[in-house]
Order: sequence, then structure tokens, then C-alpha cells
Amino acid sequence: MNVNQGDEIRLSIPNKPEYVGVVRLTVAAIASRIGFDIEKIEDMKIAVSEACNNAITHGCRCCKEGEYNINFVLTEEKITISVCDEGEGCLLENIKEPNFSKPKEGGLGLFIIKSLMDDVEIKSEKGKGMMIRMIKYLGDDI
Amino acid sequence: MSLQIRKDFDNKNNHWLVELEGEIDVYTAGQLKEVFKFIIGEKKEDIKIDADKLEYIDSTGLGILIGALKRLKQEDKDIIISNIRPNVGKLLKITGLDKVFIIEG
Repeated sequence: MNVNQGDEIRLSIPNKPEYVGVVRLTVAAIASRIGFDIEKIEDMKIAVSEACNNAITHGCRCCKEGEYNINFVLTEEKITISVCDEGEGCLLENIKEPNFSKPKEGGLGLFIIKSLMDDVEIKSEKGKGMMIRMIKYLGDDI
Repeated sequence: MSLQIRKDFDNKNNHWLVELEGEIDVYTAGQLKEVFKFIIGEKKEDIKIDADKLEYIDSTGLGILIGALKRLKQEDKDIIISNIRPNVGKLLKITGLDKVFIIEG
């Protein structure tokens, strides 16, 4: 397929758990269209779902009928996916790495995103929401 | 995009059999939590999960499995997961949970 440099797809999703599955299908469709293999598509489905979980559970607590946004930017070499909410945000230094010897019920989401994507940037400001930007490169893993 | 859960107690081997089919995410995880709460309330025995038809799980589902295991460990019982698909296995590996649950086959 001819992907123009910087083609962009924007989604706006109600902050309801039932739509995360729809986001996963959308991720799979876009990623397969630009030529990612199945394993990388699975990685991206999980990573984007985790970012959506984050937006739903932490990001939109203050806005009852809120929504969050997902942007896909496509180029020939990579896909950049940004999940942004306008919720309460958080202090990034409060996010801890999981302790493998003492597994907990929560706190795995961001760790999973960082493990599955090639490049991850997280921006958050208290009261101004959170943005998780993830990049996956086409081609063989380095 | 749904989750089917079948549960049964195996009297011969004295453990629970739980068959998962579909996807466990933030939407369906509540169902799994209820089933675990019910069966652990009935009998605190090992739980053997058949994941052959489990297509997808994320941190919400893993969190519920960890919570259930913590309750079982009080009685020195385990969660055994069998027939795991590669994408689910990869997630268990990167989170280190393949060492926390017993993985079979």
C-alpha cells in the first residue's frame, strides 16, 4: 500500500470499557494495512488497550460523559499512536516499576506498554490529563 | 469481543477446572472476578485454567488472576494455566508471571 508520509487517523472514544475492544480491532486493521506482521499487531493491540484502560480508569474520573482521543500517524517506516485524555493526570514520579517477586493486582499497564512498543513517551501534568505516545517500527527487530 | 467462562469441580483430582473462551479486558474482567470469588468461596483448591480458547488478556485480567492466587496461597494452593496461546504466553513472560503461576503444556 502507498502510505503517504504522515497520514493521520484520529479517533474519539467515549470513556467506556465496552469500546476498548473496538479500539483493538481498529489498531489491528490500521497496522495490518501498513504491513505489520501478526506478532507486532498483537503487541500493539495490547499496548494501546493498556493506554485506553489508563485513560478510562485514571484519566476520565472527573468527567462523567467524557471521551479520550487516539491519534495514529503512519509513515513507511513506523506507526506512532498517541492516547490522550483530559482527566486529572498524575505525577509520573509516583509510577513505580513492578516488583516481580511480589506481584500486585495493579500497576502493570505502563510496564507492559514499555515492554511491547519500540519507543514510549509519557507526558502528564496534574489536572491536565495524560498523553501516552507509542512508536512501533516496521521491519525486523534490531 | 466477549468472554465465556465454564467452571467445574473435578472431584477425582480435587481441583477446579476453568475454561476461558474469548477476551479478558477492562470490559469483561469483572465476569472473571465474580467467578473466582464464587469458586474460591466454595472450595479453596487449586484452579486449573484451560486457556486454549483465550484469545486475549491484558493487565486487568492478569490483576484478577494475581488477586485470586493471593487468596489461594493462604491455603498453599495454586493456579495452573494450560494450553496458552503465544500472544498470551508472551505477556505472562514479560510480566514475570510465568514464574508466579504454574504453566503447563
